[in-house]
Amino acid sequence: MSSNDILDMYIYETNTLLEQLENIVLDAEKENTFSEENVNEIFRIMHTIKGSSAMMEFDPLATVSHRIEDMFFIIRENGMAVVSDANRPALFDLMLHSIDYFRVEMEKVEAEQPLNKDVDSFLANINSLIAKIKGEDSEEAPPPAPEPAAAEPVPAAETSGAVPRSSEGNPDFRYELRVFFDEGCGMENLRAYMLVSAIQGFCAASDFLFEPAGVESDASTAEQVIENGFLMQFRNPEDREKAIAEVRSAGSVRSYQPHDFEPAPPKVSIPAEAVAAAEPPAPAVKSAAPAKSAPAKGQQGSAQHQKESLISVNLSKLDELSAIVGEIVITEAMVTASPDLKGLHLDAFSKSARQLRKLTDELQDVSMSLRMIPVSNTFQKMNRIVRDMCKKLNKQVKLTLIGENTEVDKTIVDSIGDPIMHMVRNSMDHGIEENVQDRIDAGKDPVGEIILSAEDTGSEVIIQIKDDGAGVNDEAVLRKAINNGIASPDVEYSHKEILNFLMAPGFSTNKEVTEFSGRGVGMDVVKSGVESLGGSVTITSEQGKGMITTMRIPLTMAIMDGMEVSVGKSIFTIPINNIRSSLKITENDILHDSVNGEMIKIMDGYYPIIRAQEFYNLPEGAERVEDGILMWLESGDCSYGLFVDELLGEQQIVVKPFPTYVNNFDIKNYGITGCSILGDGNISIILDAGGLYTAARG
Amino acid sequence: MNTAKEDVLFQQVDDEGVVKEITGPESRKYLIFIIDNLKIGIDAEYVVEILNSYSATYLPMMPDYIEGIFNMRGQIIPIMDIRQRLGKYPKGGESLLIVLDYNDTQLGIQVDAVELMMDIPNASILPIPSRSAQKLVSGMCTLPDGSGTMLVLDCEQLLGP
Repeated sequence: MSSNDILDMYIYETNTLLEQLENIVLDAEKENTFSEENVNEIFRIMHTIKGSSAMMEFDPLATVSHRIEDMFFIIRENGMAVVSDANRPALFDLMLHSIDYFRVEMEKVEAEQPLNKDVDSFLANINSLIAKIKGEDSEEAPPPAPEPAAAEPVPAAETSGAVPRSSEGNPDFRYELRVFFDEGCGMENLRAYMLVSAIQGFCAASDFLFEPAGVESDASTAEQVIENGFLMQFRNPEDREKAIAEVRSAGSVRSYQPHDFEPAPPKVSIPAEAVAAAEPPAPAVKSAAPAKSAPAKGQQGSAQHQKESLISVNLSKLDELSAIVGEIVITEAMVTASPDLKGLHLDAFSKSARQLRKLTDELQDVSMSLRMIPVSNTFQKMNRIVRDMCKKLNKQVKLTLIGENTEVDKTIVDSIGDPIMHMVRNSMDHGIEENVQDRIDAGKDPVGEIILSAEDTGSEVIIQIKDDGAGVNDEAVLRKAINNGIASPDVEYSHKEILNFLMAPGFSTNKEVTEFSGRGVGMDVVKSGVESLGGSVTITSEQGKGMITTMRIPLTMAIMDGMEVSVGKSIFTIPINNIRSSLKITENDILHDSVNGEMIKIMDGYYPIIRAQEFYNLPEGAERVEDGILMWLESGDCSYGLFVDELLGEQQIVVKPFPTYVNNFDIKNYGITGCSILGDGNISIILDAGGLYTAARG
Repeated sequence: MNTAKEDVLFQQVDDEGVVKEITGPESRKYLIFIIDNLKIGIDAEYVVEILNSYSATYLPMMPDYIEGIFNMRGQIIPIMDIRQRLGKYPKGGESLLIVLDYNDTQLGIQVDAVELMMDIPNASILPIPSRSAQKLVSGMCTLPDGSGTMLVLDCEQLLGP
């Protein structure tokens, strides 16, 4: 269906723009200013969103983006100086709230739910900020006198002239509410009167005023209501709130604006202010119209350029491509290693076969890279979370990102977003100390740090969230675990076991789903999420120093380069990335450590030896070291020698995960991550160098 | 939108094209195989294939009753020696392999021989108290053709999580 395609494009495009916008705002906030380039960019983004939202008939979105566009137009024309330092935090906050608002609405669009038509309170915020900015621009009047004059929610270009003149505010009835009815709805005076009657139901007549006063009987007041809106003034803020509820449930209400009247000391100058402030909006608004066409053209040019270099592809097509390329790799191996050719010397054939091999390699590299996207997207989202939480919790924390460019399969990137978000939130909430003094006393930097890193080891991607906070309080965790029935009060638990309680289902320390957390809370959700990708989560912590959460996710979708080795009749594949070298050794080279384990000295270091046959209880294998070969493997921090029988050769293999039944036996804990079907139909078992070491040495 | 499709999946259309509601069959087809002179039946719904020859690749760090894995047209299927699983002594030598698929979990079981497929009415399957904790055998029944008694293998216990 073509309409769905357009909708998908719209959602995708808008979400991408929102991300860009968020990054700009976050960076700008750090500098406490928007550069000229930023302002132009934001203007362009808002303009695009406005246009496409209007085309899709999502009017509330178009309206809001239009207002923001107006606001940035003012900043563009007058320079960032027009926004005083006092107003800047509000500006950044407003931008981020707007982004959140758009995101929520986008989710509704995607879920085919109706949008929130009521954007008036939002618009009122934008308008009051604009007024503040403009208010200072025109004269020195103290900020708390935002003129309702500037607040016109409907696309500003049309309604320049008739700026409603607020009647002199009444200091006894400071809580004002101005209501505008839908254009052309008719009998505006009677509608206004209906509101009055409704309000009289809960508000004493002496507690509120309204204007024009004659709405009940005088039909000519309808004109006034149309032009200036229907103004109600309340003595008490609670009454106004109730009135707002009435207004919202009333029909034909286009918009409403709450406003607090602050009597400024020189009452005489108020009308003057009203006049003075009324003037700048009019010309500003009028000039917005011609200015719009200019940026529109500029934006078109650059947007065009951007669009040409990217194309969005359906993920299922990439899946198909990967599957076929995988088959080609296997078939190519079958052809070139065909038993029919055994013993024949075919020069021309060999040459072509080599060429074929080279091309297949390239094809495989490219098709794999299509699915890989850098984790930077997900990592950058954490910036926003850290910033928001810093404000909310009143802590100062900086986020450091390492290895953002690490590329990972798209399905993995999609699934780790929530777990990472949860971990970062954990660190912010529970990890980093509440009291800055505590940090200073402990000799730490007063500004906390969370390090988010990603690393590709060849067979896995390792994502770490490290904080330098207070670390896990073993006692508190144990207590909570006992309370929740996960631990028994009589048993002694080791530090590691206590850390594992954090990931037990039912442990979670927060029962509410806040705006920051994902769809579920609890480390157990993180653990199961990662495990569903075939990965594992481990936590290490040192009290007082901080906590590190490590997620290891295997690259199961991979075609990888491996070295085939044999032990007895079994064939294993070791990822090439993990192999440093292979050596032939003799009995004399082997040294023994204190527990009778075998070791070897290679170059300047001593490395433990693990015998594959022994560790895996294989039925056959070389006994004497002279009959086999030692593979010097490395993964992450561990480096060791693996003793096998023979090197069979380098192979490109298609990794096949184990069937579900096999996975039930936790075979991954022994360093076996998957298997592969070789060209001759045999199965080779893929080893994970790191996992093997951990399992063998503990 | 999708509910219409779902309804169709649970309906049966017989030869005349009349839609029949499935209330649950009174009898099911069982595949009967032989282990050490014991007849064991397994719900035919879960049987995918029966293989004569296959080559098992040993998989380390698995329980003794798992012989290994094999490659069935590109899929990796684990092989279980059902004799060992039921607590008997392993036999060795050639066996037939019955490949099962239960809820997308696949497993091949090695048996001595396969006898036949038979319709067994549900009513004739009686539960038996099982001594072993796993309760792999969930019932027992007298074969309707009078050829003896058969144990019923519970696929859920065998293949379930």
